[in-house]
Amino acid sequence: MDQTLPRAADAADDMADGALLVAYANGDTDAGRTMVRLLSPMLFGYATRVLGDRAEAEDVVQETMLKLWKIAPDWRQGEAKVSTWAYRVMANLCTDRLRQRRGGQVNIDDVAEPPADLASAVEVMTEAARSDALNAALQTLPDRQRQAVVLRHLEGATNPEIARIMDIGVEAVESLTARGKRALKAALAGHKEELGYSDDG
Amino acid sequence: MMDDPREDAALEALFQAERTRAPEISPEFMARLEAEAVAAIPKPAPQIRSAPRRTSWLAGIFTASGLSGAALAGIWIGFAMPESFDTLTLTADNSVSLTAFLPGADMGSLFDE
Repeated sequence: MDQTLPRAADAADDMADGALLVAYANGDTDAGRTMVRLLSPMLFGYATRVLGDRAEAEDVVQETMLKLWKIAPDWRQGEAKVSTWAYRVMANLCTDRLRQRRGGQVNIDDVAEPPADLASAVEVMTEAARSDALNAALQTLPDRQRQAVVLRHLEGATNPEIARIMDIGVEAVESLTARGKRALKAALAGHKEELGYSDDG
Repeated sequence: MMDDPREDAALEALFQAERTRAPEISPEFMARLEAEAVAAIPKPAPQIRSAPRRTSWLAGIFTASGLSGAALAGIWIGFAMPESFDTLTLTADNSVSLTAFLPGADMGSLFDE
């Protein structure tokens, strides 16, 4: 299914292929503020879902935006979308963070496991609980699968965009998202009724 | 496992609901990012003003040197070799009579034609 990709696509259009960034590089402070308002919510949503931690997400968003300001004077309009570039930087920073966790500072088992028991997360049939359950299940996925699934199904990126962001082929993206979805369904399998889909539905 | 279309649809419904619940960025963090954007704005390229100044300064030196040299040469010629020059004389009919500046040079022939 090829869904509409509202958030990333709209922002990319609004940015007019880097025109704002060029304006910023020429001293337009309003262009800089506009870019922050366009890009940072998307980047923050992605980072929060991938890292599962708001404070860490803020760090990587901040770092990504600083890198963007740094390259602004050298930006060549029309060669790439600013949003794709930013997502790519962000994806690399998230990958670095996840690797650091595996490097012994944080036990990977602690990271990979859902922060709360999935059953308890979906006991209350509210939207918030469903969201918690989905995000908990997302945290059980391998890093690359989680990044691809978040980009494809939550951030609304197309497969070619994800391929550019993750620096892999489109087929690899399809494979990652397919395996990620299967793993998500497996993680949520025991909670069909709580999540609103049962065998008789 | 699950290639059940109903499960696919249910997962898609979860995704769809989650897309409307994007993690909210705090106003404080947003303000910090905007402030950093303004602080990091590229400085305009410095205007090159020193080079023209240096050029005019050098031109002034050359001009002064030239004028001084010419003045000194005039003084030297005037005092050291006064006999080499004849003078301009004003005649009674208010015409200017130009005589040879340098002895031996046939300056008058220049005006004969």
